[in-house]
Amino acid sequence: MLWPLLALSLFPLSLAAQKSVHEQLVDLAAAGNGLIQLNDQTYDLLASPKRDWSAAVHFTALHPQRRCAPCKEFEPAFTAVAKAWANAPKEQRDKHFFATLDFDDGPAVFQKLGMSSAPGVHVYPPTDGPNASAKKAPFKYDFQNGFEAGPLAEQLSVHTPIPIPYKAPFNWARAGSIVSLIPIITLIFRFIKPALQNRWVWAAGTIATSLVMTSGYMFTRIRGAPYTGPNGGWIAQGYQNQYGQEVQVIAVVYGILAGSFLMLTVVTPRQLSPTRQRTQVYLWTAVNFLVFSILVSLFRVKNPGYPFKLIL
Amino acid sequence: MPAAYPLPSDLSPVTVANTASLLRIIALALISGAAIASRLFAVINFESIIHEFDPWFNYRATKVLASQGFYEFWNWFDPTACGVIYNLLHALNLPVDIRNICVLLAPGFSALTAWATYMFTKEMKDESAGLLAAAFIGIVPGYISRSVAGSYDNEAIAIFLLMFTFFAWIKALKQGSAFWGTIAAVFYFYMVAAWGGYAFITNMIPLHALVLMLMGRFTGRLYVAYSSWYAIGTLSSMQVPFVGFQPVRTSEHMAALGVFGLLQIVAFGQLVRAHVSSKQFQELLLAAVISLGLIGFFGIVGLTYKGWIAPWTGRFYSLWDTGYAKKYIPIIASVSEHQPTAWPSFFMDLHFLIFLFPAGVVMCFRTLRDEHIFVIIYAVVASYFAGVMVRLMLTLTPVVCVSAAVALSSLMDTYLDPTEPSVEDDKSETSTTHSTGTASASRPATPATSKKTKKNKEKEKEAAASAGGVLSELVSNVTSSAAAAKSATTTERGVFGMDTRLVVLLNSLGLLLFFVVHCTWVTSNAYSSPSVVLSSTSSDGGKNLIDDFREAYHWLRQNTAEDAVVMSWWDYGYQIAGMADRPTLVDNNTWNNTHIATVGKAMSSPEDIAYPILRKHDVSYVLIIFGGLIGYSGDDINKFLWMVRIAQGVWPDEIQEPNYFNRGEYRVDSEASPAMRDSLMYKMSYYRFAELFGGQQPMDRVRGQHVPIQGPTLDYLEEAYTSENWIVRIYEVKKDDVLGRDLKIANAFNQGKKRKRTKPMSRRKAIGA
Repeated sequence: MLWPLLALSLFPLSLAAQKSVHEQLVDLAAAGNGLIQLNDQTYDLLASPKRDWSAAVHFTALHPQRRCAPCKEFEPAFTAVAKAWANAPKEQRDKHFFATLDFDDGPAVFQKLGMSSAPGVHVYPPTDGPNASAKKAPFKYDFQNGFEAGPLAEQLSVHTPIPIPYKAPFNWARAGSIVSLIPIITLIFRFIKPALQNRWVWAAGTIATSLVMTSGYMFTRIRGAPYTGPNGGWIAQGYQNQYGQEVQVIAVVYGILAGSFLMLTVVTPRQLSPTRQRTQVYLWTAVNFLVFSILVSLFRVKNPGYPFKLIL
Repeated sequence: MPAAYPLPSDLSPVTVANTASLLRIIALALISGAAIASRLFAVINFESIIHEFDPWFNYRATKVLASQGFYEFWNWFDPTACGVIYNLLHALNLPVDIRNICVLLAPGFSALTAWATYMFTKEMKDESAGLLAAAFIGIVPGYISRSVAGSYDNEAIAIFLLMFTFFAWIKALKQGSAFWGTIAAVFYFYMVAAWGGYAFITNMIPLHALVLMLMGRFTGRLYVAYSSWYAIGTLSSMQVPFVGFQPVRTSEHMAALGVFGLLQIVAFGQLVRAHVSSKQFQELLLAAVISLGLIGFFGIVGLTYKGWIAPWTGRFYSLWDTGYAKKYIPIIASVSEHQPTAWPSFFMDLHFLIFLFPAGVVMCFRTLRDEHIFVIIYAVVASYFAGVMVRLMLTLTPVVCVSAAVALSSLMDTYLDPTEPSVEDDKSETSTTHSTGTASASRPATPATSKKTKKNKEKEKEAAASAGGVLSELVSNVTSSAAAAKSATTTERGVFGMDTRLVVLLNSLGLLLFFVVHCTWVTSNAYSSPSVVLSSTSSDGGKNLIDDFREAYHWLRQNTAEDAVVMSWWDYGYQIAGMADRPTLVDNNTWNNTHIATVGKAMSSPEDIAYPILRKHDVSYVLIIFGGLIGYSGDDINKFLWMVRIAQGVWPDEIQEPNYFNRGEYRVDSEASPAMRDSLMYKMSYYRFAELFGGQQPMDRVRGQHVPIQGPTLDYLEEAYTSENWIVRIYEVKKDDVLGRDLKIANAFNQGKKRKRTKPMSRRKAIGA
C-alpha cells in the first residue's frame, strides 16, 4: 500500500507511477541521450537495493561556484562513454545505465555516501535477477590513467553486460592540421635542402642526440622527473635518479670534453704559428683535465661510495 | 720536413712489418688475457657458481643438451655453445664439469668479442684504433656487467655475435662479397638462436642499406652484400623453432623485408636505365613507383586486416611509446632491467669513453665512407635505446668503444707523428728556433707526409724502402689511413715541439690509466658479487658475507619432501629448482601472465582467500625474500606492487592497486592500508619481526619505517624456516585441520580464545517491500 503513494510523492507525474522503476529509468536514459541526469530522488530509484540492472554513476560538481577543474575535464569523457553505450543493442543496453549526479542537484546523496571530493565514478552491480553479483559494494573507478575516455570505457566494460562499444573519435582537427602542414613542409624543404645535403648539419644533429640521450634524457621523460628539486637543488640524490637540469649540465660537460679532443686532433695541428699552436694545445689540455675533474666530482655526489677523484 | 724526435733509420721494411704484426698479436693476446682475468673476480672471491636468477635457466637447458643430445634439445629451446664445448672436451677425454664450462663461458667469449671488435674497428680506421677498441671492450664495465664468470647468460655470447656479424657485413659491403654476406648470415642465425635481441641486427643492417640508398650510394656491392645476407640469414633463422614464420609476418622484421624489396627495385631500375633512353625511363619510373607504392600499401593493410601479419608486438611498443608497457604489460615493465637509465649509470659503465664517443662520431663524419655511416647510425640508435632501458646499455657499449677508439687513436696519430710542419715564413720566425731545436738531430729524409693514400699502400712501401727512410713505414703503420689521406691534401699540418706532444700524450695516458683503475674498481665491487651471495663491508674494513640464499635452499633440499611444491615470486624459480631441487609454481621463464598473476594474487590477498589458491595448486611451502632486517633492498616488499599490478591485470575487481596505498603513499608501518596489512606478503614478511627488537619499536631498514610492535598473525601458514639474516623466509602451508574445523577457528581454539559469536545480521526493512 505504501509503494504507490511513495512513488507518487517521488514523481508528480502520475504516468510514471504506472511504470516499473526499470521502465522509468529506460525512459530517462532515452531522454538524456543515454545519460540520466540524477537528483536526490532519482538516485534512490537508480540505486534501489533490489535492482536487476547495473549502473555507473558519475559524481561531479560542475557549477562554476564549486570551482572543480578536474570535474570539467572529466565530464566530456564520461558523456562520450555514456553516448557510446546508447549504441549498444537494445536488450543489453537496458541492463546498464549511465547517470550523472551534480552536487548541487543532490547534496544529500553526497552526504549519505560520505563523498568529500569530486569527480568520482561508482559502478553499482545488480543485486537481483539472473545477473545478480555476489559483491554488494560499488566498484570505485580510480583515476590512475587520467581523465581520458579510453581507459574509462575499458575499465567500466568489465562491469557492463557487454563491453562498451566505445571508439575514440577520429581527431579531425589533428588530421586537418597534418594535411595542411604538407605544403608548408615541402616549401620549407626547398629552402633547407642544401642544409640537408650538408654532412655537418647531420653531424650536429647526431652529436646532439647522442649527448642528450647519454645524459639521461629518456629517464626524465619516462619517469617525469622534475626540472629541479624541491628546494632549488639541481642534483637529485641517489644513483638511479636525476632531475631535468642534470641532463643539460651533463650534456654540456660531455660536449666540452668531446670538443676539447676534437680541437686537439683537428684544429690545433692546422695552426701554422708555433706559439699560437702551443697556447691552444695547453689550453685545451687544461680544459679537458679540469672539466673531467668536475665530471668526476659530480659523479661522486651521485655515488658517494666512489673512491677516486682528480683535483676537485 | 723537420721531425720532432729522431727515429731509427737502419731497419729493413720487412723487420718493421714483422715487428708490427708481432706486437699486434702480443697486444691482442694480452687484451684477451685481461678481458678474461677481469671477469674472474667472482670466482676467486666466492666459488664457481652461477650467480644471477636468469642464468639458471640456461644452465638447466645446457644440462638437457649435454645429456640428451642436440636434436632433443632443438625441439625444446635454443642451442648453447656450452653443451657443444662440453661434448668436445669429453670427446678429448677431458673430464670437465659442465658447471665449470658454464661459469667460464662468458669470460671466454669476451676474449672473442675483443677480437671481433678489433676486426671491426680495423675496417673503420686502422690496426691501432682496432687495438684500442679491443682493449676498451675487454675491460669496459658496460660489457663486464653482463659477462662476469658465472653470469652464464646468452647476452655474453650475443655481443660477440653482434660484433662479428657487423664486421662481416662491413666486409661484405666493402668487397661486394657474397662470401662475407653469407658469413654474416651464419652468425646472424646463431644470434637469432641465442638471444632475443637479434631484432637489433635485423633492423640495423636494413637501416644502413636504406640510408646508403637515400644518399645515392647504391652500388652493386651493396646489392650483393645485402641480398646474400638477407636471403640466407632469413631462411636459416626461420629454422629456429620459436621464430618460425615471424620474419615475414611481424613488424620487427618488416624493415628488413621492405629494404630487400626496395633494393631489388632499385637494382632493376639501374638495369633498365642502362638499356632504355632516358625519357622512356622517366615515364617508366613514374608509373612503376606509383603502382608499386599502391600495391605495397594495400597489400600491407590487407594482410594486417586479415590477421596474417601479426600486430605490432608489445616489446616493440615499449621501446617507442615508453608509457605503453606500464599500462598494458606490467610483466615486462616489472623487470628491473627494463627501467630507464639515469646518467650516473652511463658514466659508471662507460667512464671516459662516453665523451670520447661523440668525438669519434665526428671523426666518422669527416671521412664518411660507407662503413662510417654504419657507425653513425648505430651510435644514434643505440644511445636512444640505452636511455630507454638499462639492459640495452649492452648494445651501446660496442659502438662507444669503437668510436672512442677512433677518436683517441686519431689524437695519438697526430701527436705521435714526428714530422713537424715547416713554419710559415712570415711573422713567427723568431719562435721557431727553439721549437724545432729538438728536431735538429733527425735527418730531414722522412717523407712520411709524401702523397699517399691507403689504396696504393704497396707502392708506398716500395717508395719508402727506396727512399731509405724505413721509419716512414713504421709511421704509416701508426698513423691512420685517414690522416694519411688528409695529409695528401693538406701537407702543411702537424704539431710543433716536444712539450706539446708530451702534455697531450700524458693527459691521454692519464685518462687511460684512470679508466683502467675505474674498470677494476667497478668490476670488483659492483658487478662481481653474485646475487646469491651478498657481501658487505663493515666499519672496520672487514668483509661480511651474507649467504642466506644458499643456506635456505640447502635447508629446503634437506628438510622437505622431494615433490613438495614451493611457491615464490618468479625471479627465484630457477634458483629454487637448481639449488634446492624442488618444483616451483612459476619460474623465470614463465611468460604466462595468468600463472604469474595467480602467484601475485595469492601474495596480495588476505590469508583466507590465498589459502584455497595455495591448496588448489598443491603448494607446500611459500618462500619470500625479506630485506627489512639487514637492509637488502631487492626484497619482495619492494617488488610487491608489481605482484599487485600483474594480479590486477587478471582480476581487476578483486585486486586493486590503490588499495595498497595509504593516501598515495606506500607504507608498511602502522599507517599501512588495510589491504596491505592483510596481504599474505605483508604478514609473511613481518611475522614475528617485532620479537627481534625486544619490546622496542621495530625498524624496517629498507623502507626506513617503524612497523607496529603488534606484528601480524598467521592462521593458515606456519613459519618453517628463516635464514640467518632473515633474507629468506619459508612458510609451510598447513594441511586441513584433523577435526575438519576452519584453520582460523582451530588456531583460535588452540590459543585458548573463546570463539566469537557472529552476530546475526540486523534486518532492515526495505523500502516498500
